[in-house]
Amino acid sequence: MALGKIKADTLEHSTAGTVDTQYVVKGSAKSWINFNATGTIATRDSFNVSGIVDEKTGITTVSFTNNMQTNANYATMMGGHDIADSEDFNSQHIFVNRFTSSNYIVQNCNSASAAADWELNNAANFGDLA
Amino acid sequence: MQTPQFQGTHLFDRLCWAKENLDGVQSDYRVVYEDSVDECAKILVPDPNWMATALQGGILPPVWVYHELAKDEARSDFKKHTRGYLLHETEPMPAMTEEEAIEYLIMKDCPQSVWRNWNEGNKPKMVICRKEQLPSTREWRNAWKITEELSVTDLAA
Repeated sequence: MALGKIKADTLEHSTAGTVDTQYVVKGSAKSWINFNATGTIATRDSFNVSGIVDEKTGITTVSFTNNMQTNANYATMMGGHDIADSEDFNSQHIFVNRFTSSNYIVQNCNSASAAADWELNNAANFGDLA
Repeated sequence: MQTPQFQGTHLFDRLCWAKENLDGVQSDYRVVYEDSVDECAKILVPDPNWMATALQGGILPPVWVYHELAKDEARSDFKKHTRGYLLHETEPMPAMTEEEAIEYLIMKDCPQSVWRNWNEGNKPKMVICRKEQLPSTREWRNAWKITEELSVTDLAA
């Protein structure tokens, strides 16, 4: 590989102490995505994602390029909102419907707990890679 | 820009290089498929950063690698992947055309039961189309189906 490489077990700040590089490796997001599920569904930007599948109203599958190591033991943080349902942002919810090592399903609901397509969907994944 | 020699480099590191050096490519292609007669049609949308890596070449592993990992995951005693090295050590794919990339993505992200038998049965289970050919609004989204009037001749035209 033509890229440079620095190997280190510890990073040290001039005054604020040290941190094991494993914290960086283990604690960094392994994948993230920002997508619009309204209109013609599309990804705004992402990392380590091969594609999304518009399954039906309010349900989107996100697939990894580099699989996760396990099919359940990783964490997905999500957020976003349904601009069309602006009456009550606080009651909208977004959750993971299913995990596998190769993809996960994002599900959105509006303030009436009905499946809904959100304009803004964000998700990031933490865990070990295959 | 030339892709570095990446065989043996962790796929995640290759994706970091791609994110740093390649601009995303928003494909106009969409893949519409049905994997159950009881459910509405699903639409696969290629990721713009992934498409850039496919067009660039030298980054993505061959698609059979994903199939091998899927076999492992389908085992009843699966706990975690132990053959992740296939992603990192297998010789990467050369540059693909956009159409070749879509075919690769179908084989990676669509169920095999769909793409292996896409044209068996009363109507095609899968159609590659342009974004503009999809409904522009999501009205009756859960009732979308591939039309039964679609023939292979239409698909080839």
